[in-house]
Amino acid sequence: MFEPLFQGLQLFFTMDAVFAVLAGTLLGLLIGVLPGLGPLMGIILLLPVTFHMEPVAGMGLLIAIYVGGSCGGAISAILVRIPGTPLAAATLLDGYPMAQKGRAKEAVGIAISASALGGVLGGIVLIFLAPLLARFALEFAPPETFALALTGLLVIALVSNEATSKGIMTGAFGLLISTIGYDQFANDLRFTFGVNGLLGGIHIVAMVVGLFAISEVIVQIKSGFFSRNPDVPWVRPSLSSALLVLSRWVNLVRSSAIGSFLGALPGAGGVVSSFTAYAIARSTSKTPEKFGTGIEDGIIATESANNATVGGSLIPTLSLGIPGDATSAVLMGALIILGFFPGPNLFEQHQDVVGGIFLAYMSANVVLFFAGILLTPLFVACIKFKKQYLLPFITLLCVLGVFSLESSTFHLWVMLAFGAIGYVLRRYDYPLAPMVIGMVLGPIAESNFRRSLVISGNDYSFFIDRPIAATILAINLVIIVWMLCPKVWKNRLLLRA
Amino acid sequence: MTLKSKFSLGVTAIAAVALAGTAAFADFPERKIQNIFPWAPGTVAHGVSQMIAEGMSKRLGQPLPVVATPGAGGVKAFNTALAAPADGYTIFDGYVAPLVISPMFGRADWGCDDFKPLWSATSNAFAIAISPTEDRFTDFPSFIAYLKANPGKTAYNGNGLSLPHMVSAKVLQSLDLVSRPVPYDDIELGMKDLRSGVLDWLVVNPGVYNANKDNLKILVTLSELESVQRTYDGADKAQDFGIDLGISGLAPMGWNWWLVHKDTPQDRVDILNEAMEATINDPEVRAQIEATGFVLTEYSPDQYSEVCNSAREQLESAKDAITWEEEAVKAAN
Repeated sequence: MFEPLFQGLQLFFTMDAVFAVLAGTLLGLLIGVLPGLGPLMGIILLLPVTFHMEPVAGMGLLIAIYVGGSCGGAISAILVRIPGTPLAAATLLDGYPMAQKGRAKEAVGIAISASALGGVLGGIVLIFLAPLLARFALEFAPPETFALALTGLLVIALVSNEATSKGIMTGAFGLLISTIGYDQFANDLRFTFGVNGLLGGIHIVAMVVGLFAISEVIVQIKSGFFSRNPDVPWVRPSLSSALLVLSRWVNLVRSSAIGSFLGALPGAGGVVSSFTAYAIARSTSKTPEKFGTGIEDGIIATESANNATVGGSLIPTLSLGIPGDATSAVLMGALIILGFFPGPNLFEQHQDVVGGIFLAYMSANVVLFFAGILLTPLFVACIKFKKQYLLPFITLLCVLGVFSLESSTFHLWVMLAFGAIGYVLRRYDYPLAPMVIGMVLGPIAESNFRRSLVISGNDYSFFIDRPIAATILAINLVIIVWMLCPKVWKNRLLLRA
Repeated sequence: MTLKSKFSLGVTAIAAVALAGTAAFADFPERKIQNIFPWAPGTVAHGVSQMIAEGMSKRLGQPLPVVATPGAGGVKAFNTALAAPADGYTIFDGYVAPLVISPMFGRADWGCDDFKPLWSATSNAFAIAISPTEDRFTDFPSFIAYLKANPGKTAYNGNGLSLPHMVSAKVLQSLDLVSRPVPYDDIELGMKDLRSGVLDWLVVNPGVYNANKDNLKILVTLSELESVQRTYDGADKAQDFGIDLGISGLAPMGWNWWLVHKDTPQDRVDILNEAMEATINDPEVRAQIEATGFVLTEYSPDQYSEVCNSAREQLESAKDAITWEEEAVKAAN
């Protein structure tokens, strides 16, 4: 178990590798903060740089960007209600209200500490449980993945606070949008109307940036006070947030475990992990009504889960050669380009490289912790700018980030359209997060449902003949019955319990 | 200002513009050149194109980013590149799917000869694989016998109008075998389902094979080329069993050919060609590319029309195989 780590020490403790992890984490944080540019884009941009690096240094750079970028998005989500990446959409639910209450420093500190600690816990899972989880991930065929995606969709009801029906409506809208593009099962185009830009579907980043960032810019413009100096005090680096996160260790460990587990299942990814962890934290809380109003546990759940997902997603990527999500697919491509094919052979023949990668991942989380704590005052200082400077700057970053996706102006129009949609929905109190969940989970649920039917020859019993799929579907049924249950009955049941 | 001075100023201005134009023409490229890549970014294929682009960039003295523009089986990328001016600053990463297959299915209206070729880039050959623990069939003849005895009862990874699926459907049609194609976004996900026993067999590429050698047994390569057999560690080819797959040469392989707009000035095409030829002959670049499992095809621009049109003609016959397979699966179930 520790053999790869010992063998990896020599490869990791070189100037190149250590510097790569340090630079990658800082770069990842920055990339995550900027709207539009997520860890995936950061890794893709830096991928050519690694072609000429030593394998552990190259992979260390990319993994560190993944770690930093998975956390960075939370900072802009908390401070200006703009999730730098779709991963941070769930953090916004409690992070922004907390910042609005004058607790921006605590919120950012909690997000960074929870991310780093969640990442470390994800790393421990990666090192100790990789073979076990990899075997379990193999059991997740299309019926199981469909059932799990359905569970994720039910999370919509839990993250919509009191506006469940409105949440279901925006979630359904997200599902509808996810159907745009090429349908590989019917070999045909859906809802593209001859528009070239729609052939690949709506880009999730353009949608999320528009929905949250542009709508927020519109709201801020409408509220005026462009030249007023925001009342944000200067803050100093402090470890108090980290201690607070550690004091909520149950939530931290549970959310990290959820992140690691979902990360290990190919297809799920950080967005699903963070929303699921949030929903579970809320449903197990003694004060669920406080979620969404700026509660520490909301941030701890989402941030620890999405960074633990990074460790989880490396499990099938490295041990099976099956990427856990889009970002780890790119990491797998990078490893192949560097001359190592991921899979069981990698663990047997190149333990030193595997160990070096594990060490790089753990070190990136440690760097994230200290860099995050030191840089928190700098991040918080950003919201000290007057609106007349801050809003154009944010808009510019949004435009640059979204344009860079494919050097396409079409995505900018998509971003603006979703900005307008987001503004209208917010005005009438429709929650936006369910739309992101619908957009992310729609294709996973649909393709795995249809794939299951193709495999089984249209035999629906395929879903209940498989024990794991049947169990998840049964849990889903219980959740639905519970949601439909009148509040009075729920309270009676809980009292009896 | 006098009339004379106005005249001399005008002449000077015209001369300056003309000279500037000539200089710009002579200095090609004077800004970045884009390669429009038709698939998702960050894949091995993307990395391989970036390796070639990097080599060309060094020789041309300008950046050459490979811009991933995925969507609609590569058609979106081609449309994007076609919308750019024919000035040599936009290169099409001409993968066979958008270049040849999409027009065959009426999704695009271009043909091989609507572009000017640079050098061909790489190829990626496919093979039929099973799990090493599979006991229903252990070699290609027993595989054929099993599928014949159980029409439509087995499943494999066949993704819509993708090339691996067209080739496998053509092979199945040639051998009169029926198996259910299951669309997957990536072969890796199909690999997972093969290992969990959900799929019965798999069409793989060298990348997936190299990553899963212990969990795959290659039954047959879908190409008669010896270089492909080497890629799959000496696996059998269909011809070894006296079986004609009905498709040969580049046709049963994934390949890409770098292209430019048809109206691009020839001297600019020549400059790009010179840089690309030098790059793909660079031993360091070759070693890097070959380490990923991709094979450099090394066809010159002169061979483009013949090779591309020949592959198109052969794939026309594979096109009907998809329709045949759809009907055969329905009939079998």
